Amino acid sequence: MLKCTINGKHVEVKEGTTVIQAFKMLGEEIAHYCWHPALSVAGVCRLCMVEIEGNPRLQIACNTAVTEGMVVTNKSEKVKDAVKWGLDFHLINHPLDCPICDQAGECGLQDQYMKFGKYDPEMAEKKVNKHKAVDLGERVVLDSERCILCSRCVRFTEEISKTNELGIFNRGDRSEIGTFEDKPMTDKYSVNTVDICPVGALTSKDFRFKQRVWFLKDRPSVCPGCSTGCNVDVYYNREGFWRVKPRYNPNVNDYWMCDEGRDTYKYQNKFDTVVVGHRGEKEVMKNVNRVINPMHITGGHAEMMDVQFLLQKISEKLGASKPADVALVVTGQSTNEELSAIVSFFASKFDKKNIYHWQNEPEKWNEFDGLLMRGDKNPNTKGLLKVLEQNGVQAQLWKPSLTAGKLTIVVAPENHSAYKDFSAMVKWAGSGQSTIWLGPGLHEDMGMQGEWWVIPGKTTFEKKGSFENFNGHVQSFEPVTTVIDAAVSADEFVTLLKGANFLEIHKIYRNPVERVENQFIFERGEM
Amino acid sequence: MAEVKILTEHYHDDNYRTVDGYLAKNGYEMLKKALKMQPTEIITLVKDAGLRGRGGAGFPTGMKWSFLPNNGEERYLLCNADEGEPCTFKDRMMMERAPHQLIEGMIISAFAVQSKKSYIYIRGEYFYAADVLRKAIKEAYDKGFLGKNILGSGFSHDLDVYCGAGAYICGEETGMISSLEGLKGQPKLKPPFPAVKGYLAKPTVVNNVETLASVIYILRDGVQEYRKNGTEKSPGTKLFSVSGDVMKPGNYEVPLGYPLKDLIEKECGGLKPGRKLKAVIPGGTSAPVLTAEEAYKATMDYECLANMKSMLGSGAITIIDDTRCMVDLLGVITHFYHHESCGQCTPCREGTGWLNKIVRSIHAGNATVNDIDTLCKVADNMKGRTICALSDAAALPVLSFVPKFRSEFEYYIREGKSQVRGISYAQMHH
Ligand SMILES: Cc1cc2nc3c(=O)[nH]c(=O)nc-3n(C[C@H](O)[C@H](O)[C@H](O)COP(=O)(O)O)c2cc1C
Ligand code: SF4
Ligand code: SF4
Ligand code: SF4
Ligand code: FES
Repeated sequence: MLKCTINGKHVEVKEGTTVIQAFKMLGEEIAHYCWHPALSVAGVCRLCMVEIEGNPRLQIACNTAVTEGMVVTNKSEKVKDAVKWGLDFHLINHPLDCPICDQAGECGLQDQYMKFGKYDPEMAEKKVNKHKAVDLGERVVLDSERCILCSRCVRFTEEISKTNELGIFNRGDRSEIGTFEDKPMTDKYSVNTVDICPVGALTSKDFRFKQRVWFLKDRPSVCPGCSTGCNVDVYYNREGFWRVKPRYNPNVNDYWMCDEGRDTYKYQNKFDTVVVGHRGEKEVMKNVNRVINPMHITGGHAEMMDVQFLLQKISEKLGASKPADVALVVTGQSTNEELSAIVSFFASKFDKKNIYHWQNEPEKWNEFDGLLMRGDKNPNTKGLLKVLEQNGVQAQLWKPSLTAGKLTIVVAPENHSAYKDFSAMVKWAGSGQSTIWLGPGLHEDMGMQGEWWVIPGKTTFEKKGSFENFNGHVQSFEPVTTVIDAAVSADEFVTLLKGANFLEIHKIYRNPVERVENQFIFERGEM
Repeated sequence: MAEVKILTEHYHDDNYRTVDGYLAKNGYEMLKKALKMQPTEIITLVKDAGLRGRGGAGFPTGMKWSFLPNNGEERYLLCNADEGEPCTFKDRMMMERAPHQLIEGMIISAFAVQSKKSYIYIRGEYFYAADVLRKAIKEAYDKGFLGKNILGSGFSHDLDVYCGAGAYICGEETGMISSLEGLKGQPKLKPPFPAVKGYLAKPTVVNNVETLASVIYILRDGVQEYRKNGTEKSPGTKLFSVSGDVMKPGNYEVPLGYPLKDLIEKECGGLKPGRKLKAVIPGGTSAPVLTAEEAYKATMDYECLANMKSMLGSGAITIIDDTRCMVDLLGVITHFYHHESCGQCTPCREGTGWLNKIVRSIHAGNATVNDIDTLCKVADNMKGRTICALSDAAALPVLSFVPKFRSEFEYYIREGKSQVRGISYAQMHH
């Protein structure tokens, strides 16, 4: 261990620790753009200047290793002046059009300027012009004028996603980020470059210009996209969810998540396009995504019902059924709490042999891309298997070729696109006499045949519960916000069946949480 | 005093560039001698002779060689023949006239640092020199000076020429290493230094053409004899590329410590008739400019020029007489560094452009007197804050031109034309 003094505070660090890491350990502020804890040191922004006792030249903290007895400060006038100038060099050719920049509100330049800058500009010359709105592929847009060439995005594709797709072309103040021969990026993790980009140079096509970030709130959750269970922050407002960003967890996903995982908020919204306003003369139509009301459907005719009333009917129906006549379908998309409630409830009342495990492409479950993405597109397969075992259930694999019985309870998966045989399941359920369908999403064939009792289900970001990921890591999460007021989770469903009052157990989560400055880049993204 | 031709003794001889011509002048004798010595003996000799790098920084060569870690890793010797510093043209002459001298110097140096492979990194525009070198290398292989078991000594060495594409930044040693590795020619963050992790992350020595060639004569003459030329801290002779307003510009080999006045007046035949000396850039455009008074007092050695807050640099001396406009000249220089910055470090990337734009604004008659201060402030804040010294190299000319010739800048801004030429930039350059 090495002893050193940072801004007058004493700290002991491991051999090989850099000065910037020591600053971070102490929670001391230090300006920086290019350094990122998960990437190699580039040392190019030259902002992390520190004064080291005994060295007349200022040094960069990110490429200086702590030595025994080192005394470091970044509070001296010399350092402050250097940082002020460092920022000025970043800003002279920057468009400074924050009002029309999508990054405003979570921009490294804005934040560092407010902390370390605050001066009048001295640049009177014409700014360098570069390419604007460059399409980098399916998900990312580049504005070269806003880019500060910190090379974080380049290092990300080199070191983390290993596609080496981004590079810096040209040199000097003509340098621009780009892809080889302008090929579109195919990186499955491309939006991470948007996250780590300290400025508005890289923006997400999906999110850009949809919301001002200061009107959004965010809460932590877990990505339901696959069995990795990346930790995420979900950004929302009263209309629903707007984007998903990774939250640092060294045991699961580090600072990253995959692009697919970022789409998981979409099916959880009430509408799949929440574009409000007009395009030309036409209003953009919103497609309904979710089951909004509890319904009873017979002969293709749907009747909206109060949830309490519907549950009473279901309760009566279940009570009147013979144990052998009722079946249950479950998937690894429900939480441990849901599964354990519904499976034990079912096992106590009906025949365990009638429990089906609905699997999506199990032959791909062991696939892994080497970074995060796994072939098992269920966040809780492990948890499900455990719950079944605990209840002594040997679940049958559900197949469309089976014949549906008299009464089937389907706890439907939320992520329809991960289930290739979703339509087949809906048809199958409809071919039986009667179906109790608990699920968040709508499907066009629901209720076309047979009798249906449809209860709007909650999605992950609305639920309180836990998932067990591929390697047995159990992760709990709290609701982010409520999108569908009437939605219930499977455990709530069981509680209600047991006679609870809906209004008593049901909570709506919409409490605003104030965001303190630019949390993403400076805390989570560990700028 | 006069020219002392040690390196350049036989440069007038056309045959000297062939292996036979070189052998006829006792070429490769020192290689034979070296191969019978202990490598560390050679390093000690070079250290004692006080040889300093001729590429720009003047770093003691023997010391650089002894920084290599003894960890059994493969080592590389790289010859820096990028010669990008504006106004420098000595390495080119050396390679074109005496390729075997460089090759011999390199094999000896490689033996001293126990490197099995070396490269000559030559700037792209020097295709003739590259051609000459390639032929010479082939000759050297044929004669057994290169390849396996050189002259039966058990030491093997391979040498190759690698052409750059004419980027100034590839003369910076780590930029050169990146380029040689097939990467974009951008300097690398230090530490680690090349001596520890250089080419292909292996211990690497980078030396200038002239430095490597000089090693031969330290071996030939011994420390005492070698030190007879030059000063205590700058021993030996050095090639100076003199250009600009003198009667006989060209490369001159003189002992270090040679008075600049003598070099101008004796060797170079003085200024053109009727002209007066105004300024001298003593070490390539990166070196701060000297006024005429300073220049007449200067001696060409590392210490004296450092005392004058300038530097010996690459040994390129640019003579500027009283018909030259300093504002115009500074524009040429700021343009160069703006064009050549690799663009990694923000202060250099943005600063070089900013400097150039301010000078251009002065040329265009759009500047105010405040811009002179901005110019200096910007330059001042580009110094010592970047990965490599290009940023400093861009700042130093500004920080010497402006204070030393401030009235010319003020006149230009006030009147919209050059004080010296009496015309505007547009008229001067059509
Ligand atoms: C921007 C820049 C350009 C340089 N260009 C050259 C060059 O063209 N030739 C050269 O020998 N050294 C050049 N140098 C110096 C090299 O980095 C290095 O110090 C030198 O090659 C070491 O050799 P020496 O010790 O023999 O001088 C340059 C340095 C900088 C910062
Ligand atoms: S695009 Fe963003 S992350 Fe990439 S170099 Fe530019 S500023 Fe840095
Ligand atoms: S790897 Fe899996 S858990 Fe992580 S973001 Fe992607 S889909 Fe979600
Ligand atoms: S100082 Fe300039 S040339 Fe040198 S590495 Fe930095 S940006 Fe490149
Ligand atoms: S130079 Fe240290 S963070 Fe950029």
